[in-house]
Amino acid sequence: MSQFDRIKTIQKENISVNQLLSSPVQLTTVVGGEGLENLIQDKNLHRPQLALAGFVDLFTYHRVQVFGNTEIYYLQSLKASDRIKAFEKICEFAIPCIILTNNHTLEQELLFILEKKKIAVFSTPFETTKTIFLLSDFLDDQFALQIALHGSFVDVYGVGVLLTGRSGIGKSEIALDLIERGHRLVADDLVMFTKKRESVLMGTGTNLSQHFMEIRGLGIIDVEKMFGIRAIRFQKRLEIIVELEEWNKNNEYTRTGLEEAPLNLVNVDVSSVKLPLFPGKNVTVITEVIALNYLLRTYGYNAAKVFADRLQEQINVRRLHKSSTHDQRLVSYFQSDDE
Amino acid sequence: MIQETLTVLNRAGLHTRPAAMLVKLAAKFKSDIYLNRDGYDINAKSIIGVMTLAAEQGSELILTTEGTDEQDAMTELKALFESGFGEL
Repeated sequence: MSQFDRIKTIQKENISVNQLLSSPVQLTTVVGGEGLENLIQDKNLHRPQLALAGFVDLFTYHRVQVFGNTEIYYLQSLKASDRIKAFEKICEFAIPCIILTNNHTLEQELLFILEKKKIAVFSTPFETTKTIFLLSDFLDDQFALQIALHGSFVDVYGVGVLLTGRSGIGKSEIALDLIERGHRLVADDLVMFTKKRESVLMGTGTNLSQHFMEIRGLGIIDVEKMFGIRAIRFQKRLEIIVELEEWNKNNEYTRTGLEEAPLNLVNVDVSSVKLPLFPGKNVTVITEVIALNYLLRTYGYNAAKVFADRLQEQINVRRLHKSSTHDQRLVSYFQSDDE
Repeated sequence: MIQETLTVLNRAGLHTRPAAMLVKLAAKFKSDIYLNRDGYDINAKSIIGVMTLAAEQGSELILTTEGTDEQDAMTELKALFESGFGEL
């Protein structure tokens, strides 16, 4: 039925060691060559302390190996021959690459062993903790689950709103209207979402489409060129999905907004709103209101709940006092200025 | 036009959930549907309107249906009131 029932996920199985060079840890290649073609299949990092000491039973060699002060000073504490022996032992495993933190270096003869075994070596100016933090985040992103959804993704008052619905229902037109009102387009038509940590979906456009969009009867337009830099942004967290559909009297729509039916996409719950369309309805304004209401709820104010509570209170009062002739006016006495 | 007096039976009264049920059911009919209490005629298809009634248990509301399907509307809405909105 809807596209959410058949989501295909994309996930990289490996990346080449080469790609680490685009990570934020400012790597410089110490030993390159064929080692740069090695594949990394695990997003986790490893510090090979015990492996260097000779215990290799549970050595997670397939991970990126990080050499910090501990490893370096441990190696320096060994006799030259033991050092080579320790190194030869871990080099028997197919290690994809080694990263030396704090701009450390290894002795020439050790580097020679690594080169022979086709293990790439990099050094970074960052200290170990920082390196691990930055690299983990980078690898997490590289190996993250991705999904592609069809819709228009707009930042409305800072809320990431994905407009979905059948082809031709007017998603792009609503997005355009939102842009005109000062909101920012992330992507139109095809939006790539990447799962970040466990509970966040980050959306962005594709390389090719960027901020181009198709308007029926007009063709392709370039939103950035047309509306300027304020009209676009490159990425945004997905917060609400607005499902547009033709008004169907058999479908039920919420009347109070108390029930919440989040959509579950790759195990991330995303708020969703089903919005029936009919002529004369200003969907742009409603989309803004959806975003503002989301913000209010995020900051702890749920209008539907507040109203329900007030109602309950009033029912209770009436049950107790049995007063049937209640004045329903908000203001019980109009003052004399007649304004 | 059909008119009938209905009583709110469930203990909690016509609070949010029953109000939503009532409005959703009323909205299915083409007829104009009104609930009257204390002289206020309220459109039964309006959620805020129905909630404004703040009808407690035992309160009596006059239901008016008018239109092509007024009989069906009356029957179904009456049944909903009699079921205590599923809270009996």
